[in-house]
Amino acid sequence: MASTQAALPRGLGPHVLAKRFKRFLIYVIVIALAVIILIPFFWMLSTALQEEGNIFAWPPQWIPDPPMWRNFPDAWNAMPFNRYLGNTVYIVALGIIAELASATLVAYGFARFRFPGSDLVFLVLLATMMLPFHVTLIPTYLIWQKFGLVGEFDPLVLRAWTAWGPFYIFLLRQFFLTLPRDLDDAAEMDGANWLQTFVYVMLPQIRPALLAVTIFAFRGYWNDFLGPLIYLTDMNKYTMNVGMYFFMGGVNEAPQWNYLMVMSTLIALPVLILFFIAQRYFIEGITFTGMKE
Amino acid sequence: MSSHLATLIRWLLVPLVLVAAGALLYVIARRLFRWNGKQALGLALVSPWIIGFLVFTAYPLLYSFYLSFTENNLFGRTKWVGLDNYIYLFTTDYEFWPSVRITLLYALLSLPIGVIGALLIAMLLNNKIKGIGMFRTIYFLPAVLPEVAVALLWRWMFNSEVGIINYVLSPFLKLAGTGTPDWFGNKDFVLAAFIIMSVWGIFGTNTVVFLAGLQGVPRSLYEAAEIDGANGFRRFLHITVPQISPVILLQVVMGMIGALQIFTIAMFVRPTSAAGKFMNQLVYERGFSQLDMGEASAIAWVLFVIILALTLLVFRSTPFWVHYESDVRR
Repeated sequence: MASTQAALPRGLGPHVLAKRFKRFLIYVIVIALAVIILIPFFWMLSTALQEEGNIFAWPPQWIPDPPMWRNFPDAWNAMPFNRYLGNTVYIVALGIIAELASATLVAYGFARFRFPGSDLVFLVLLATMMLPFHVTLIPTYLIWQKFGLVGEFDPLVLRAWTAWGPFYIFLLRQFFLTLPRDLDDAAEMDGANWLQTFVYVMLPQIRPALLAVTIFAFRGYWNDFLGPLIYLTDMNKYTMNVGMYFFMGGVNEAPQWNYLMVMSTLIALPVLILFFIAQRYFIEGITFTGMKE
Repeated sequence: MSSHLATLIRWLLVPLVLVAAGALLYVIARRLFRWNGKQALGLALVSPWIIGFLVFTAYPLLYSFYLSFTENNLFGRTKWVGLDNYIYLFTTDYEFWPSVRITLLYALLSLPIGVIGALLIAMLLNNKIKGIGMFRTIYFLPAVLPEVAVALLWRWMFNSEVGIINYVLSPFLKLAGTGTPDWFGNKDFVLAAFIIMSVWGIFGTNTVVFLAGLQGVPRSLYEAAEIDGANGFRRFLHITVPQISPVILLQVVMGMIGALQIFTIAMFVRPTSAAGKFMNQLVYERGFSQLDMGEASAIAWVLFVIILALTLLVFRSTPFWVHYESDVRR
């Protein structure tokens, strides 16, 4: 854009004016939309810092006066969120490790090896992306019930070892496919077996993809609500999200909005921080697969 | 704490079992099928996924189909009841048809807004203007916010008494002479509220995918069209849309499947039963609150069939509008 403008005649002909006006218009729209996006974030923080009596003020009070910083510890201590955070971190950690290890191996298998029927298997894998989660929900629950593991953390973390996320496999496979075959051949020539090739030659090359999967898996486990909701029956094992669900109160109770906004802010914080640190991998991962959620 | 430890031990055992299963498959493939080493190794490597698929996808899928013809309350025996669950759903369960209606309407109305909106935003962000990096970051924020936080935030903003949405709307409502709507308590408003919330989803993932698609369109095509005198709108219609149509297809399919499966947000927003529930909420309630696994499975299968039918419909329509690189180079 800049170079075409420089090439145009310097005078303010109608053509130049129209171009300038268009640029101005683009700026206005881009900024207006950014403001619209930021308002809910601002409102969340504003309510979080609001004094109890001011929440229901009309017209709404945009800037809390005085800001109640105490709402943060008060909301956090209103339920055993310390314990819930611990449980969540535990699930997230086990889930990510298992997911990463299994998905990488499976993706490597799909990218570098062929066997009779391997194309069909990969097609089925892609098709599972479209399968609604709820249709397998009840039988899966019954399976865990048979094993006597309903109420434990197991249903939430064991399955990750079977490379649960088809998106992750797809993303990693695409990355493996971009690596030149010469790499494998050279390693093989040097007498490396497949495991050595995989660990020392392939893995270092796909670091960006591994990071992307880590980030997405983190987000997936951190945001998971349905799984913990049905499997964790003991209050002491709740995750942050399930804790939040009960923190909302019963159907006919009016929720305490300033506390809920405090907790929403805190729940969003880790993911937001992760996004700011690793924005590049986040976006790279999305564009690579066109994946959602 | 001991429960954490017990899970950890089982969690450590699972990979050992899977490695053993993989090794076994390797031996079977070599000895029985006479595959060569590389083929057998490939099978062994992908075997964790195959095992997971059989145990946690294929079997549950068939089993839930079977369950939908039975009566099962989680603890007692499973009893075959034929089509009873479906007949009950279609004729007696007063929450079923409203939930089908709101789920379908939500998907059909939010989908075009989501896809077209995301495309327009991506085109906006594809302009080279100052500070575009910062704007892209801001525009991606809605996708980063966890669903739970999104749902609570919107529920608060839609609050019928003091929500800022009603505050912003109040002058218009006064003009129209109506009171402030109770968004999630009234079946006339709940759909509108959910669709407004879905607009939030325009920003983020979809936009990033479209942006990547737009950046892949060769500049030469636009330049050629400009020489031919095509205006902006015609260039959009005849170059941009066909060029990124595979991306649009992906967005339509994934967006539709996602919209039909709306759950977490609805659970936290918690529309009253007068306002209506989404199908997945009904699956959860019938299954895990009322312990009627048969009926819950039937609802899940109705939803599955709807998703399958609509997805096939979209794919059948692709020859008319999706344009792949490989079939243009005539």
